[in-house]
Amino acid sequence: MSSGMLYGGDEIGALVFDPGHHSLRVGYAQEDTPKAEIPSVVGVAPGDPIKLESEAKPDDSNISSTPSSWKYYIDTIYLHTPRPNMELHSYMKDGMIENWEYFEKMMDYSYEKIIQSESHFHPVLFSESPWNQRQKREKLTEIMFEKYKVPAFYLVKNAALAAFANGRATALVIDSGATHTSAVPVLDGYVISNAVVKSPLGGDYLVLRAREMLESLGLDLTPSVLIANKEVVRDKDKPRYTKKAFSFDITNSWMTYMTKKTVQDFQQSVLQVSESPYDERVAASIPMVHHEFPTGYHQDFGSERFKLAEGLFDHAMLGAGYIAATSAGMCDVDIRPALYSSVVLTGGNSLVQGFSDRLSKDLSSRTPGSMRLKMIAANGTVERRFGAWVGGSILASIGTFQQMWMSMQEYQECGKAQIDRKCP
Amino acid sequence: MADVRDIMELERPPTPEITKETILGSDKPKKKLFNAPKAPKRPEGMHREVFALLYNDTKDAPPLFPSDTCYKQKIDLTMRKPRKWTWMPFTNPARKDGAVFYHWRRPSDEPKEYPFAKFNKKLEIPSYTDAEYQQYLKDDQWTKEETDHLMDLAARFDLRFIIMEDRFDKEKFPIKRSVEDLKDRYFKVVGLLGKFNGDKKIYTYDADHEKRRKEQLKRLHERTTQQIEEEQFLLLELKKIEARKKERERKTQDLQKLISQADNQSETPKKTDKKIPKKKLANPSRPSRVDTSQHILQAIETAGIKFPDYKNSGVSLRSQRMKLPANVGQKKSKGIEQMLQDMGLELNPTPNEDICMHFNELRSDMVLLMELKSALASCEFELQSFRHQYEALNPGKTLTIPSQLLSVTENDNKQFNSGEIIDVVGSPGNPNT
Ligand SMILES: Nc1ncnc2c1ncn2[C@@H]1O[C@H](COP(=O)(O)OP(=O)(O)OP(=O)(O)O)[C@@H](O)[C@H]1O
Ligand SMILES: [Mg+2]
Repeated sequence: MSSGMLYGGDEIGALVFDPGHHSLRVGYAQEDTPKAEIPSVVGVAPGDPIKLESEAKPDDSNISSTPSSWKYYIDTIYLHTPRPNMELHSYMKDGMIENWEYFEKMMDYSYEKIIQSESHFHPVLFSESPWNQRQKREKLTEIMFEKYKVPAFYLVKNAALAAFANGRATALVIDSGATHTSAVPVLDGYVISNAVVKSPLGGDYLVLRAREMLESLGLDLTPSVLIANKEVVRDKDKPRYTKKAFSFDITNSWMTYMTKKTVQDFQQSVLQVSESPYDERVAASIPMVHHEFPTGYHQDFGSERFKLAEGLFDHAMLGAGYIAATSAGMCDVDIRPALYSSVVLTGGNSLVQGFSDRLSKDLSSRTPGSMRLKMIAANGTVERRFGAWVGGSILASIGTFQQMWMSMQEYQECGKAQIDRKCP
Repeated sequence: MADVRDIMELERPPTPEITKETILGSDKPKKKLFNAPKAPKRPEGMHREVFALLYNDTKDAPPLFPSDTCYKQKIDLTMRKPRKWTWMPFTNPARKDGAVFYHWRRPSDEPKEYPFAKFNKKLEIPSYTDAEYQQYLKDDQWTKEETDHLMDLAARFDLRFIIMEDRFDKEKFPIKRSVEDLKDRYFKVVGLLGKFNGDKKIYTYDADHEKRRKEQLKRLHERTTQQIEEEQFLLLELKKIEARKKERERKTQDLQKLISQADNQSETPKKTDKKIPKKKLANPSRPSRVDTSQHILQAIETAGIKFPDYKNSGVSLRSQRMKLPANVGQKKSKGIEQMLQDMGLELNPTPNEDICMHFNELRSDMVLLMELKSALASCEFELQSFRHQYEALNPGKTLTIPSQLLSVTENDNKQFNSGEIIDVVGSPGNPNT
């Protein structure tokens, strides 16, 4: 027996994919972190683009041309350069894959650039949202077997994977991502789908509110890629910079995306959830945080930091504490104590400063007095953002899991419909 | 040691001990040096720590007990070629499809059954034929299709009824089924099948009971924090009350002790104090508690004088029996003398049988009297101090102490001391006056 097996693991060269609205996480099972995190947007431009500076010239192998001669731009470096008529599209909707064409481009890119190996060598484990639809699951199965000829395939709910990553098979998983925050009860690795509660308040909501606020202050949110040079200015002084000149019109979708990135920077470094419900006076007494925008403009932010982040919690029906308690309340009474005693926190948006403290406070006020509340939140930024991926990495490299895969043989015999039985 | 030498890059301790011989130039230590076995050299590229693990420099402390599974000796340092690992195909007998996967393995290892296949455990979910269903399993509430679905879910989710309820096909079977309904039906099916297959042990499931239990549990969980706090508070109060009750009981016992003591004194004078019958003590003329009788016994035994019993100690002078025992203190014997003088009695009467007995009894009663008097005095004092306390705390009020509680000691004393008519001040309600 190989030494790895001693610990119950058996690595079979599987790949793990964890798609989200913010990014797709790709990598080899049994590794600690994904090989790559690719933004979940695909840039589409008509083929034969106007040649720009050499630096922006896309690597041909990266851009696959379709018969109709569209070009696709994927991953940060290629996306962050403006191109004539390049529109950005997300292939995700409501936590599920929506646009299969763009999604396949993303998969092509992943195999070619990240995995750099042929797809038929590697079993593939995919994460999915707990409310993924049957027809979408079948579609993904079909694509993986038919197009990528994977030897084996498996689908697991991302909440269950996040629970595994935190060493639990039974947990109440609070996942706060870009587009939504959800509370998902997991029992013995199975999601209790009828008790899933979600709210549309996630990272994107914060970005939206932050953007509104910044725009109302009249701040210039020009992204750094468009800035040729800037001067040092004093606090709150008008920025002095020169824009790069382009010979073409920059598309709206690209501009929106880049502005979002700028605001996201602001959101991640400035926003903070206050410990207890927002109070103007308390917030004002906390030291300000300084932030510099790509234009060179900089200023201190005080109570706004808390006021903006408060949106995640102050809503009566959508606040994170509320949905967590509601979800637990919808489960069988016998398992509620188990759920409350392992509340797993995951998702990139849970990294907003103060999020976990506030959630634990809010939730404990809603926890029945006789129950013990325990919050489990990985300390590392990476573990928190990639919770589901890490869980998938662990699961796919466990010896006893190797019998669970839906194999190519099975697919050929019984078709895609059996995914529902194989991966409940 | 090995580490230090290694760090210093030294093969031997550099400074030989300075002794007389070294100074005088004896060649003995030099020889020793030469004969010492040469330490194996660390292969290049090997970490010092790893080398220290492998190579036994025999300078370690000797093992506490012999062991033959010593890894140190087994590993030899001749850098052999490492065994190969290869990316090899394997099949997993836990899979029915014979799919081939690949993993890293040593080709030298015997190809064995996939080591994790043995963990593939499945629950036995009983099955039934159409005919069996029609014969035994029909139910008003359940169709065959729905029962089939239930049994399928049971197999797929290994009887995790909560998950089964979650995944129950609500479109096909619109009747809402709770976890208890599912369990009820499942165990009925299993039970019926078991019965007709002649199984002895049949599990019966009480759905109603379970429902009630969960209802209770729900209510328990749904208590508000106030309710829980209230409960905690009440429990704490209960404890306090109990503690107070115990304290009161203890006080009553003390009082009881004193009362029974006085009782016994009024009854015992006619008896010789060397023979206080146990029966008498247990006699519940007053409702004395059983657990206090022991205290009372002790109290009575200390009261009065216990004259030693001379009956069994051979020949003795009778006057010897009238001697006060050593445990009667100076103060008491002085008091006895005083009283005897007051009564005009002799201090040492002629010890004939009768006189001896009565004289002893008399003196014993005298001591008892003195003890009671001092007890009464202390009670009196306490009573007075309580009264003062009360009056201090409630200015303007006076505490009238009921006459029964006021002592008649002074009257008695006067009567006793002077033999004159009683002064009635202390007992206005006394019918004797
Ligand atoms: N350090 C950080 N501080 C604050 N927010 C962060 C941090 N890191 C990531 N985020 C936010 O987390 C969000 C992305 O989280 P995550 O990767 O879990 O989402 P996702 O799974 O791709 O999206 P979804 O779950 O909605 O499909 C983004 O909105 C990002 O702004
Ligand atoms: Mg997510």
